[in-house]
Amino acid sequence: MRFFIILILVLSCGYASAHQWTPTYPKLKPSHVPGVYTTKMELFNGRKNIRYYSVGVFDKDWKKVKYVSSPSLIRVSHLDRKEVEIYIHKRDKSKAYYVCSKSKILSTVKDQSIVASRICSKIK
Amino acid sequence: MKRPLILLTALLAVPAVGVTSTPITGMVASKCVITTDTDGVYGNPTATELSTLATKGGVLPIIRYDIVTANAYKAKVHTPVAFTSSPALGSETVNWTGSTLAGQMSDAAMSVFNTNKVVYNNTSEFDLVKAGSVWFNVTSAATYGYNKAFPAGTYQAVVTAECVAK
Repeated sequence: MRFFIILILVLSCGYASAHQWTPTYPKLKPSHVPGVYTTKMELFNGRKNIRYYSVGVFDKDWKKVKYVSSPSLIRVSHLDRKEVEIYIHKRDKSKAYYVCSKSKILSTVKDQSIVASRICSKIK
Repeated sequence: MKRPLILLTALLAVPAVGVTSTPITGMVASKCVITTDTDGVYGNPTATELSTLATKGGVLPIIRYDIVTANAYKAKVHTPVAFTSSPALGSETVNWTGSTLAGQMSDAAMSVFNTNKVVYNNTSEFDLVKAGSVWFNVTSAATYGYNKAFPAGTYQAVVTAECVAK
C-alpha cells in the first residue's frame, strides 16, 4: 500500500518540476540507413530555469562515443517533452554503453548556486 | 394505449442516458527523476569564507530524486570545485570542501543510502536500492588562500546531480 502511495506521489510530483530521461534501458535497432543503429529517447523538462539540454553517448569508462542525434542541442520549454533520435555507427555499437542528457545553464542565469542535472540511461 | 406509449418513451430514452467510457492509459516505467527542490545560496560569515550552511548564513541546495524502480540507478552528486562566475581572483587558490547527505526520505529504509555512500574527489555516490523519493542536502564551502578576503562581487557555482542507470 505504501509503495502505491509513493508511486502516486512520484508520478504526480515528478511531472511538476523535474528533469526526466526515458527509457532507462534503451535498445539499439537498425535504422533506415544501412550500417547505422538508432534508438529513441524521451526528454521531459520540468525545470523552470532550464531551456536547453545536451545529449551524450559514452562507453563503459565514460569516454565519448561518436553519435549523431536529432537535434543535438535540445531546446525544450518548461513542462514540455521532446523525442530525441540517436544514431550510432555499426562499428561503435558495441562500445556505446550510456546515453545521457544534461541540462545546460545559460550564462545569463545569475543564481548563486545552480543545480545541473544529468540522467544517463544504459544501452542494452 | 397509455402503456405502449410509456414503453416507447422508455426505449427512446435509453440511448440518451447511455454511458460513454473514455479509457485512460498509463505506463509505469523504470525511471529516475531529478528535481531541484531548493536553490542554494552562499552565506558569507567572514570575508574569507563562503558557505551554504545555514549556520553560516547560507541556504543548502536540496535536490530530490524520485526513484520508480528500486536498484536500477545510482545517484552521483558533484559539489563545486570552481566558480562558474566570480570577480577577478588573484593568484591565491580557492580551497573547496563539500558533502552530500540524504536528508528527508519517503521510506525510513532509505537511510541505507547514507550508510553505503561512497565518497571520492568531490563526488558522493549513492546506490538507489529503494524506490521512493529522497532529498539530498548539499553542503559546499570555499575559502580563499590563507585567511584572504574574497574580492567583493557575485559568486556562482554549480552542483551537478546525476542519475546513472546500473
